[in-house]
Amino acid sequence: MIDRVLDSRQFDSFDWRFVAVVCAILAVGVLSIYSVTYAQPGGGLPLYVKQLIWILLGGAAFAIMLLFDYHQISRVSYTLYVIVLALLVVVLITGKTSRGAQRWIPVGPFAFQPSEFAKLVLILVLASYYARAPREGWMQRVVLPALIMMPGLFLILKQPDLGSGLSFLAIYAVMLLVVGVRSKALGIILLFSLMLFPFAWEMMWGSLHDYQRQRMMTFVDPAYDPGGKGYQALQSRIAVGSGELVGKGLYGGTQSQLKFLPEGHTDFVFAVFAEEWGFLGVLVLLALFVGLIILSLEIAYTAKDMLGALLAAGIIAMICFCVVVNIGMTVGMFPIVGIPLPLMSYGGSATVTTMAALGLLLNIKRRRLTLFY
Amino acid sequence: MAAASYRGRRMVAALVLLSGFALILFRLFNLQILQAAELTVKADRQHRKAVSVQGPRGSIYDRHGKVLAINMDVPSVFGVPASLDDPSGVARDLSPVLRVRAGEIEKKLKQERSFVWIARKLDPEQGRRLERMPLEGIGVVMEGQRFYPKGPLLSHVLGFAGMDSQGLEGIERRYDPSLRGEKQMVVLQRDALGRTVFPKGLHEQVPSPGHNVILTIDEVIQYIAEKELEEAVTATRAKGGIVIVMEPRTGAILAMAVNPRFDPNTVQAISADRWRNRALTDTYEPGSTMKIFVAAAALEEKVMEPETLVYGENGRMVVAHTVIHDHDRLGWMTFAQVIQRSSNIGSVKTATALGAERLYRWLRAFGFGERTEIDLPGEVTGLIKEPRNWERRSLASIAMGQEIGVTALQLVTAVAAIANGGWLMKPYTVSEIRDEKGRVVVQVSPQVRRQPISPETVHTLSKILEGVVTHGTGSKAAVPGYRVAGKTGTAQKIDPKTGAYSSHLSVGSFVGYVPAEDPRLAIVVVIDEPQTEAWGGVVAAPVFRRVAEQALQHLGISSQEPVKLAMTTSSEMARP
Repeated sequence: MIDRVLDSRQFDSFDWRFVAVVCAILAVGVLSIYSVTYAQPGGGLPLYVKQLIWILLGGAAFAIMLLFDYHQISRVSYTLYVIVLALLVVVLITGKTSRGAQRWIPVGPFAFQPSEFAKLVLILVLASYYARAPREGWMQRVVLPALIMMPGLFLILKQPDLGSGLSFLAIYAVMLLVVGVRSKALGIILLFSLMLFPFAWEMMWGSLHDYQRQRMMTFVDPAYDPGGKGYQALQSRIAVGSGELVGKGLYGGTQSQLKFLPEGHTDFVFAVFAEEWGFLGVLVLLALFVGLIILSLEIAYTAKDMLGALLAAGIIAMICFCVVVNIGMTVGMFPIVGIPLPLMSYGGSATVTTMAALGLLLNIKRRRLTLFY
Repeated sequence: MAAASYRGRRMVAALVLLSGFALILFRLFNLQILQAAELTVKADRQHRKAVSVQGPRGSIYDRHGKVLAINMDVPSVFGVPASLDDPSGVARDLSPVLRVRAGEIEKKLKQERSFVWIARKLDPEQGRRLERMPLEGIGVVMEGQRFYPKGPLLSHVLGFAGMDSQGLEGIERRYDPSLRGEKQMVVLQRDALGRTVFPKGLHEQVPSPGHNVILTIDEVIQYIAEKELEEAVTATRAKGGIVIVMEPRTGAILAMAVNPRFDPNTVQAISADRWRNRALTDTYEPGSTMKIFVAAAALEEKVMEPETLVYGENGRMVVAHTVIHDHDRLGWMTFAQVIQRSSNIGSVKTATALGAERLYRWLRAFGFGERTEIDLPGEVTGLIKEPRNWERRSLASIAMGQEIGVTALQLVTAVAAIANGGWLMKPYTVSEIRDEKGRVVVQVSPQVRRQPISPETVHTLSKILEGVVTHGTGSKAAVPGYRVAGKTGTAQKIDPKTGAYSSHLSVGSFVGYVPAEDPRLAIVVVIDEPQTEAWGGVVAAPVFRRVAEQALQHLGISSQEPVKLAMTTSSEMARP
């Protein structure tokens, strides 16, 4: 049911701040994509135009998530989860393979990535699960949700999409933190983890693709193989570092413009920005992201009910995790795991998912004062 | 308690989240401030290369816009020794593509320099193969290579350009400042594949191309001249030869052929001796063609008139203790006949009547002993001694065209002055210079150097010179249907071994113009050391005829009165 909130009351200043920060980050993203791809030859729509289309679609998703009460949305979360699982199975069977991973379902000229949507759906599912009843005992609190998460995680790791898999774990961990885990339960998890670690390591390392192992290796020492896989990490560091204090100016980023930096419009868009705008630009951008997180935290803290708080926490976890890990890998703090920078990296699925999540977040805030039913 | 723990958890969550950002910020500060210099150096080393780039060289066209010299982009491969980890491996990889020994390449790659050429001006296929090779520190750039689509045609005039597109000879050298593209020092950037790209934002600054040069040369007449000269040189087994075709009214050169020829596309393989444009860099003793100017002086000075009778001494006369011969035992003849029969004795007598000073002054007036100032490099002044340095025999020798060195260009320019009614022109080969957008930058107009002779004298002399062809030594130069004026020349050469005039080394020449009543073409033909026959009337005059005949036809110049009417209409119609 579309309730009165939307038309009866104006956006307040909080909403405007929230939307303004989101738009600012989106604009910086489009500008960076434009800068790094405008000179590329190639037919069809330029990437920045496509990204603008994704942002429009994302805006629609944002509005839809704002329109319906989040309680209603949470009621369909299991259905959505089943759909996403089905899509993930479809990806494994018929998906488009790119750079060793099968992540995309082609739709006409585009391709979408169900693992991105899966993150938001996971948040919905876990939040609904915890909010429906007081889940007591470690079985209900820890194991059952983990079991719920497992099919999705398994399908995503199978693609393989390490980045989305790690996002899943991050969302799960933050949810646990919010509902609170007794130290005893935490201890058990820790113990189990330690016991399982050798097997897990064996399974993990054994099941990793060559390129993932390479990434792990080169994370340790990117300089050892500048022509190989460490190349990305090294080039990214050079691009960021050579931006210095004030940057090389828009379109002036030599490393990104000249393709030394691979994936400049997707996973390494931050490096493009950092090269062109320097440390000062980076400070502004980080301030925007931190501002978004703080505004989001405020929503989480003031949420009317458990469901709202949990949803908000999950969304913050997802965005924050992606931002920190993406920038972290760009500057060489983390291995390269293929996580896009929310609201900035080129990509339809990620953009739409993130904006839908933000719409949901604002939904939680806007309904904190309304009585429902 | 619950509220406190909730608040505590909130704090923890916020701190955990923000600590992530703090870590990132710290790392960024480290990279962008502390390590900035080091990483910037790394970045620069990857993509920067300071080179001077030059806009493409301008093209050269004939008077009808036919291309004679253009620029083609061909690949060259360079190395950046500093960014090579394994020079010998790279050298081994490059060796088969470049067809150069690996050792040689390796030596270049091990030089302590930031930039070395490995191989330049490769063929396009090699370039494509190189671009596909993922070699660090090796790059391929496109360079402008000069290409002369017509091969040897006009090569002595065009000259050629060097490896760095610098004009080295001919038009290429003389007009190098115009042809040369603008030069700029540019910091080029290499992309990740080693391809050179212009820095973004520098697109507007790409140096502009050189100007295009439009010649006065007519490609067709040039072709005719070269072909006929080649045939004559082959037929007479001569050492070489020269043909120049000039427009008498303007001094514009329509053709300038030098034999033997060379192909400017493969100039490295050819000895420098062949490059010289001998039409203006080499002098020869012109022989009887000089009598034209002796006659011009005598007529203008009223020393002689066409009907003045001169005794031929039966073909033998002693001057300054040496004997002068004529080829025939000539008796009494008119002054006109002296020229037409090319009587040495008659010419010597004329010169004697003029006197040394006047003869010298007149020859100088026609431009001998001075550069014509043609717009081609390497021109010489020729050799003509001042009278005070003359020996007793000199006057007679000079009257016969010996003891004087002229260039073929000087001779045809002087004859053109008679053809055009008395104006000594400055010969030129370039009529226009245009920029890359086709706008005229320089427009060359004909330049008169002086008027050495009156129109009346020219008229009289022209009649005499027509007689050379109609019933004199130059009969083989006659072009059916046209009135031709000219003069043959046969000069002994000094044998370099003995230092004396040789009995078998000679230069046969013919110089003249056509149509005599309204001269459109002045042509000189010089055959150097013909083996079959020495006489200019035999070896050179037929070349004159064939070149003149075809050139007149090509230009659509109508023949004489009887057929004039029909020819005029047809040629009028033929014109666009």
